[in-house]
Amino acid sequence: MNAIILSALCGVVMMFSGILLKNKSAIKYVAIAALLVLIIGNLFQFYGIYTIDIDSKGLLSFDRTGLFFNTIIFVATLAYFILSGSDIERAGPDVAEYFALIFFVLCGVTILTSFNGLLMFFIGIEILSIPLYILTGSDKKNLKSNEASLKYFLMGSFSTGILLMGITLIYGATGSFGLQSTTIKSAVTGFSSAGILAPVGLVLLFISMCFKVSAAPFHFWAPDVYDGAPSVFTSFMATIVKAAGFFAFIKLFAAKSEDFGPGPAWKLILFVIIVATLFIGNITAVFQQSVKRMLAYSSIAQAGFMLFALYSTNDFTKDGILLYTAAYSFATIGIFSILTKMEDYSLDGFNGLSKSQPVLAFTNTVFFLSLSGIPLTAGFFAKYYMLASAIKGGGSLSLVIIAVLFAAVSVYYYFKVIQAMYFKEGVAATNTPITGNFKVALIVLAAIIVILGIYPTALLGFYYF
Amino acid sequence: MAITHIIFWFLTALALVSALMVLLSKNPVYSVLWLIAVFFAISGHYILLNAQFLAIVNMIVYAGAIMVLFLFVIMLMNLDKETEPQKDIWMKVAGVISGGCLLIQLVRLAKDAPEMVNKTALLKTGSIGLIENLGKVLFSDYVVPFEISSVLFLSAMVGAVVIGKK
Repeated sequence: MNAIILSALCGVVMMFSGILLKNKSAIKYVAIAALLVLIIGNLFQFYGIYTIDIDSKGLLSFDRTGLFFNTIIFVATLAYFILSGSDIERAGPDVAEYFALIFFVLCGVTILTSFNGLLMFFIGIEILSIPLYILTGSDKKNLKSNEASLKYFLMGSFSTGILLMGITLIYGATGSFGLQSTTIKSAVTGFSSAGILAPVGLVLLFISMCFKVSAAPFHFWAPDVYDGAPSVFTSFMATIVKAAGFFAFIKLFAAKSEDFGPGPAWKLILFVIIVATLFIGNITAVFQQSVKRMLAYSSIAQAGFMLFALYSTNDFTKDGILLYTAAYSFATIGIFSILTKMEDYSLDGFNGLSKSQPVLAFTNTVFFLSLSGIPLTAGFFAKYYMLASAIKGGGSLSLVIIAVLFAAVSVYYYFKVIQAMYFKEGVAATNTPITGNFKVALIVLAAIIVILGIYPTALLGFYYF
Repeated sequence: MAITHIIFWFLTALALVSALMVLLSKNPVYSVLWLIAVFFAISGHYILLNAQFLAIVNMIVYAGAIMVLFLFVIMLMNLDKETEPQKDIWMKVAGVISGGCLLIQLVRLAKDAPEMVNKTALLKTGSIGLIENLGKVLFSDYVVPFEISSVLFLSAMVGAVVIGKK
């Protein structure tokens, strides 16, 4: 409850800071301070100190996984604020409002990690989505940004409609918003246990959530929206928001999976979706010339790996999704913070970066290595846990082999950037001077990724103890 | 057949026909007017279910406010035959096929659904739709989501200001 209330309050504070503070960088420091308060408030609850306790009548339940996930998300947001804060200041005139909207998104994230029913789930998804439509269109002079915002809004509204239809059918079948399995619940309402409405509702829910996390074949909005939105906000959408969407997706379907019965059909649907997501994300990313668009497709490809957590649910899955969130978010936030500093977003724009900005080139390399899952970076263990959970859960081996093959494909297009930075001649121009603080922050982030890669239990140790 | 049954079937037919007409009319203004008919038919269903408050709110909010907004938007968009984008015929075919598949599946499932066979809605019974009970539930069991949705509205409001400001 701490995090939900504090994040909403932080959003309100940010709104007022826009009136009181005229200095843009002061607003950034207020946002960082507010985020620190949020992290501390969340840690208090993680260690069992409830400063604000409200009886939610069973609609919210706080478990350690959710609270720990909150912490990862908040720390990733902190890294995002520190690295890209100055880019948010340049994104448009309404800096304080952008920070406020980001805090409202965080409020949605905290609801999605603690929902205990479809009602709160829906509210969380909406609080997560609505500020994003606005952040996407915040570059009002840019036609592409406007197009992306409208497209995202319309498609998002449709998927919300499908989500509501699914919730309605489940409510109609069970008479409750609860997360409990409907097969148990249906005995209470007098319906026979082999109901049809609840599975149909769950399929609609599944479709809608696949849309929200941009899994193929519901991914068509993602490249355009990620490409059209201002780069700073793409960074936020592709990492923190997507990870939160996955967490909610997994939490929902782990609780509801019994309703699908033991049938192999359910696994088959997931199998097809995972393979399609990996295929479309990776193969299309190979052909992109713009690094920003390549990252948009790569985020679809990474979604394919995160879907493994749905395919089989066991102990590995929980660790895996936490580690994957941290590894993927940190690396992508780092890459985007460097990308927004570049003059030219195409691959050629990175030519010769190692000569002009060796620190940027080196840290960028670490981030890309982590995304492609090379050992000694966090991305390796993240992928390892995901695949291990699929094998341990008795999943099919063929899926794991396909995933490894596509991971190899991803190495190709990630290394194209590294190659451009180190082995091609050119002058990689940056649009703003690179400050020393920025370099230090990048090195710290890269160090975290390497430490997590050597010693992943450093992160999970916090979770278990 | 009791009078409530007759009203029920009449409203159902009205809702379905109007919903079809929303999709089939060429002129978007007619579509919106048919949509108003859909909302009125559904409000009628709410009254049959003894949920007068929901019926009134449905009429005021949807048929009143939102539909007026729709009409304004459509009129401001200045839709002409010339400016209408040409839709690809294959896109239409693909849409009809995929939509039709979903429809067939849903109808097929609904026909056999054990939840719905030989069950009728509770006409004129139940009192959850009355304003007193609704208020009690909203401010006791569902007070947390009710309060949290204020964050949703606040963020939408901030967004409207950000987008609308010069």
